[in-house]
Amino acid sequence: MPESPSPTPAAPAPEDPARRDFLEQALRLAGGAFVFFCGGTAAEAVSGAAGEAYNWDEHRYAYLIDTEKCIGCGSCVRACRAENDVPDGFFRTWIERYVVGPEGSHVDSPAGGLEGFPPVQTAFTPTKSFFVPKICNHCKETPCIQVCPVGASYRTRDGVVLVDGQRCIGCGYCVQACPYGSRFLSPRTHTAEKCTWCYHRITKGLRPACVEVCPTGTRQFGDMKRDDDPVRRQIERERVAILQPHLLTEPQCFYLHLDKEVR
Amino acid sequence: MEHARHVFRAALVLVVAVAAVMLGRGLLVPRSYGIYGPYRADNVGEQMAVREPRHAGPAACAACHEKQATARTAGGHRTVSCEICHAPLSAHVRAGAVVARMPVDPSVALCARCHRRIAGRPEKFPQVVLEQHVEGALESGVCLGCHDPHSPKP
Amino acid sequence: MPEITGFAFPNDIHVHWSLMIVMYPYITGFVAGAFIVTSLYHVFGRPEFKPVARLAMATSFCFMAVATFPLNLHLGHPERGWYVLVTPHFTSAMAGFGLLYNSYLAVMALEVWFVWRREIIEAARRSRGLRRALYAALALWTYDTSPEALEIDHRAVKVLAAIGLPLACMLHGYVGFIFGAVKANPWWSTPLMPVIFLLSAAVSGIALLTLLYQGVSKLRRARPEPGCVSGMARWLWFFLILTITLELLEILMLAYEKSEPWHIISELLTTRLEFSFITMQMIIGGLIPLILLGIVVMMDRYLHERVRNTLCVASALLLLLQVFSMRWNVVIGGQLLSKSLRGLRSPYVPELFDREGILVAIALIIVPFVLLWLFDRILPIDEGGPAPEGPRREAETGVAGA
Repeated sequence: MPESPSPTPAAPAPEDPARRDFLEQALRLAGGAFVFFCGGTAAEAVSGAAGEAYNWDEHRYAYLIDTEKCIGCGSCVRACRAENDVPDGFFRTWIERYVVGPEGSHVDSPAGGLEGFPPVQTAFTPTKSFFVPKICNHCKETPCIQVCPVGASYRTRDGVVLVDGQRCIGCGYCVQACPYGSRFLSPRTHTAEKCTWCYHRITKGLRPACVEVCPTGTRQFGDMKRDDDPVRRQIERERVAILQPHLLTEPQCFYLHLDKEVR
Repeated sequence: MEHARHVFRAALVLVVAVAAVMLGRGLLVPRSYGIYGPYRADNVGEQMAVREPRHAGPAACAACHEKQATARTAGGHRTVSCEICHAPLSAHVRAGAVVARMPVDPSVALCARCHRRIAGRPEKFPQVVLEQHVEGALESGVCLGCHDPHSPKP
Repeated sequence: MPEITGFAFPNDIHVHWSLMIVMYPYITGFVAGAFIVTSLYHVFGRPEFKPVARLAMATSFCFMAVATFPLNLHLGHPERGWYVLVTPHFTSAMAGFGLLYNSYLAVMALEVWFVWRREIIEAARRSRGLRRALYAALALWTYDTSPEALEIDHRAVKVLAAIGLPLACMLHGYVGFIFGAVKANPWWSTPLMPVIFLLSAAVSGIALLTLLYQGVSKLRRARPEPGCVSGMARWLWFFLILTITLELLEILMLAYEKSEPWHIISELLTTRLEFSFITMQMIIGGLIPLILLGIVVMMDRYLHERVRNTLCVASALLLLLQVFSMRWNVVIGGQLLSKSLRGLRSPYVPELFDREGILVAIALIIVPFVLLWLFDRILPIDEGGPAPEGPRREAETGVAGA
């Protein structure tokens, strides 16, 4: 494995005090006895070389999408596919088109928007239409992490929800539990996969690939811990919406100009 | 309780089995599991290093392709990343060295993806009905006959 | 490629939880249901269940043996299945599986041991050589068959059954929780789900035991005890009424409240699940056994024995189909509708030869019966039965069980 900047803990931090489950602690005690004995070694393993280390405590990422600007070109879908080797037929990000009229609404996402959108005819007369990009919302109160039976799915301290491909047993519970359809079981790795906000890029100061290529500024990526961050400013001051708010998942992906038709 | 001897024996077997399982479990928990939460802490580092970033942004192209870069930033495509129409940088340059030519796609489909008139695009966005916009067949390269992709008008 | 009507999220069109995930609650349903039957005798002292008590216990045990297979066959990484035991993430209901399964297995094994201890010791005394060594090991090298020891056995069985009953209910109830607690899926998300699963498990268990009792009696050329048959029919009818009521209640509440998902759920029920839900689960599997069993219960006095047996067998068969349809409709039905709440995909058809296919499912049903037969060879299920090598003294043992 190449030498890489790793998160620096101040000390081998004990588990999040919110996890007060006695059984979990007892089991970890038993299982972690081994870790405890080698406590020093483990801490060394996760802290990178001093000075180079990326400190995840200094960041809390968020994503902002302005649906008024999206032109449905699909560049984001293609970029994500190229950046992350997404398998065919599955999507870490996709675009939905909404064509809405008083008598009905039509929603489609041909191949997730990969090749753009063809013209569409609807039986009713549409009065408005727009595109809505979708990705994993990296929720604060994720149902997907909650249901993972082996602790393969987790949330980093900088706010990114990730899947440990070596721990995942491929049970598919997280795929069922995600209300947004962001997850899938990869036919290649037989584990759960989803958008990672290009963790391998953002921890190097780059932006996710989809944000990088978006030609209209629809997609924005920001850091809620930076004072001058434009995404943070918009989230704090503009009228923003989230998907399926009644489920209280606390998504960190915010939308400007979201329409009531969108789930 | 001499008549309960078999009960104690069964209980002993159970206790031994449970102890064996607990011990075995303890040895099998991954080293970095539980440091930050109920997950393998090593994976964070693994995810950070899962691959080299493939997209680099238009600034990286400008380093060698000044002419196209200047044309682009002055024209209508100033917000369009080079990597949209071509390919991610890693297809062309890796570790500072050119590994392959950048693909160039002259097809109508490429331009149409953004500029074909369809419902959903903001009205102000430049889009045309291709069949009316072009005289003759919609064959590969026809857009390039009038438009410089690095600086299309306007 | 599946056909979609309406709009489904692009990742939503795959049915990840396949036939194997339908089989798992079906099998654990038998485990729980059979255990409920044996507990009705051992814990609640219902005398009419004495003839099937041991059979039910053995059945529960044999179905437990195959319970992990559908899960392992379904995993993307079956070789990592044991991670659930090593690093269970207890906010997940699925993580409870390791603990529940193993605890229940321990209780079951102990209970079987206590119930059959006398036969094990007798078999050890009667055998020679390797057979003797095996039976002796099974007896844990104690040979106490005095009345005091047997009395202790009875009490131990009672305690174990009392512990085992909630464990069996949890073993199956947690499966209902796995579905019921998924707020993302409106067809699954209801607090009624664990209750419905558990009650229909009782139905499937009693139905299975009905069939087994009739079948085993026929094989032994013995007469199924009318008291037992009527007793099982009564309890089966009772649990069936509860199950159907709750299953219908769930739909009625959804239809009445007309919340957002009702539109797509009603389309699901009337198009994709029309056959499996309305025809199979409700009418053929629900209404008809309800009537047949109602006849058995209400007109018990007037029924000839053969009529009663036939009605019970017919109802039991239909109920086994009903419980399977219910599992199918929940597991597969929930995946046919997209989380976009705007789209349905075409019905899922399992492959024949797949790892998660039809042949494997059939094998999973057959294997426990084979195990049951093996069980009987080692530990005779009929009480007071002869040694394994001895001839069956049918005339004396007569009725199945004493």
